[in-house]
Amino acid sequence: MEIKRIIPPVLILLLFLGSWHLGALWYDMSFLLPTPLTVAKTFISDFPIIMIGLAQTFTAAFTGYVIAAILGILIATVMSLSTVLERSLYPYAILLQTVPVVAVAPLIVLWFGLEMRSIIIISVIIALFPIINNTLLGLKSTSKTLVELFDYHDTNKLKTFVKLRFPAAIPNIIAGLKISAGLSVIGAIVGEFIIGSGSEEGGLGVQIIYAQSSLETSLVMALILTATALGFAFFITVSTIGYYLLHKWHESEQ
Amino acid sequence: MISISKASKSFEQTQALEEVNLDIATGEFISIVGPSGCGKSTLLRIIAGLINTNGSVIKPNKGAFVFQDSALLPWRTVQRNVELLMELEGVDNKKAKAAIALEQVGLTGFENSYPHQLSGGMKMRLSLARSLVLDPEYILLDEPLSAVDELTREVLQEELYDMWSRDNFTAILVTHNIAEAVYLSNRVIVMSPRPGRITDIVDIPFKKRTSAIRNKPQFSRLVNDISEKLRSWK
Repeated sequence: MEIKRIIPPVLILLLFLGSWHLGALWYDMSFLLPTPLTVAKTFISDFPIIMIGLAQTFTAAFTGYVIAAILGILIATVMSLSTVLERSLYPYAILLQTVPVVAVAPLIVLWFGLEMRSIIIISVIIALFPIINNTLLGLKSTSKTLVELFDYHDTNKLKTFVKLRFPAAIPNIIAGLKISAGLSVIGAIVGEFIIGSGSEEGGLGVQIIYAQSSLETSLVMALILTATALGFAFFITVSTIGYYLLHKWHESEQ
Repeated sequence: MISISKASKSFEQTQALEEVNLDIATGEFISIVGPSGCGKSTLLRIIAGLINTNGSVIKPNKGAFVFQDSALLPWRTVQRNVELLMELEGVDNKKAKAAIALEQVGLTGFENSYPHQLSGGMKMRLSLARSLVLDPEYILLDEPLSAVDELTREVLQEELYDMWSRDNFTAILVTHNIAEAVYLSNRVIVMSPRPGRITDIVDIPFKKRTSAIRNKPQFSRLVNDISEKLRSWK
């Protein structure tokens, strides 16, 4: 069964790599479009420096992601407490989503310096909204009957939250965290773009800018693939946690 | 005894419930029947204290509310669901009491199952067990059997009757099913809509309830009698 499920996506991958390879040979301009083999070779030869970049980007994105998760769940919880609070805060949560992060990033770097903390802040901004929005949706869609049951037994707000509203919202919280997993990595890369010029060592975003300016296309591609894999790894981790929390009782994981 | 006096309720413009006065004796089983919108569910929630009213409701301290869709927590196992209300009410000795309650409804062996793995009938048994474990003086039942198939429904009616005769609680059942009301109750309260009010109270004279009484001519006479009373208000 497992192998049958793996075959189709692997076939697609091989098809993709094959046409890329043939296309690259056809155009024969390896400085613009290197073959996948060249990219793989670059990945191996530059492995040490790519890993340095990966470690930095991982640290920034992971820190940003964890902060966004905690902050997002807290903000959504506060909003769920009353309609007034929700009405007051929600428009600003939307602004988080609509503000062009790429445009704000330079400002943040101005304020917080050419440092890791600026990158983390940008990552938080971009990852926060989906977590707030999904958590809030979950906290607000508690079954009316169950709320009546808790009310009938004169359960206080805190106990109702802990025993009912929060656990009922976990599927939505996981959904929000899944969306934000990739976004936090994107945020970190954007932050590194703004910070990084002219350094060969640094986060993946910094290295991409550097490799691009020196026309090392195969290195740019190797770095992009590394960043993609990082976001993917975040997603898989959250999905796995979600599966263990939900598969016994929730439709989404059965 | 449960005593309801001058209980009325309006939602915005519409009067959901006109003044209702009703006394229910301790240990009595009454059913409330009526078409949709007659306020029977509102009346039940007024008795429960979930909806406010201008009138007054006097009732014993310890009660339980059984909902239409079982109202189980899907992320909790059967065991943890039986313990839920004891947790909310701060009852001690949960494990032992839960085990007895599960045994009484035939759910021993399902302690580690989740609600979605149970049939509709089993879910309702679990919901009843969760309430009975509180040793309530009265139980309010809001169409508890409407989601199960006809065969299971009759079996559950008999089980519910057994619980009532064993545990001596006062029961107030809201139902659409007239035969169910006649089978279970000492009295059937008939309500009519716009505005919701009590139009008839029918005494059910049967002493013992067994499935045999369903076949008695008197049983079908009572069912017909009540459904005619309901129809006359449409």
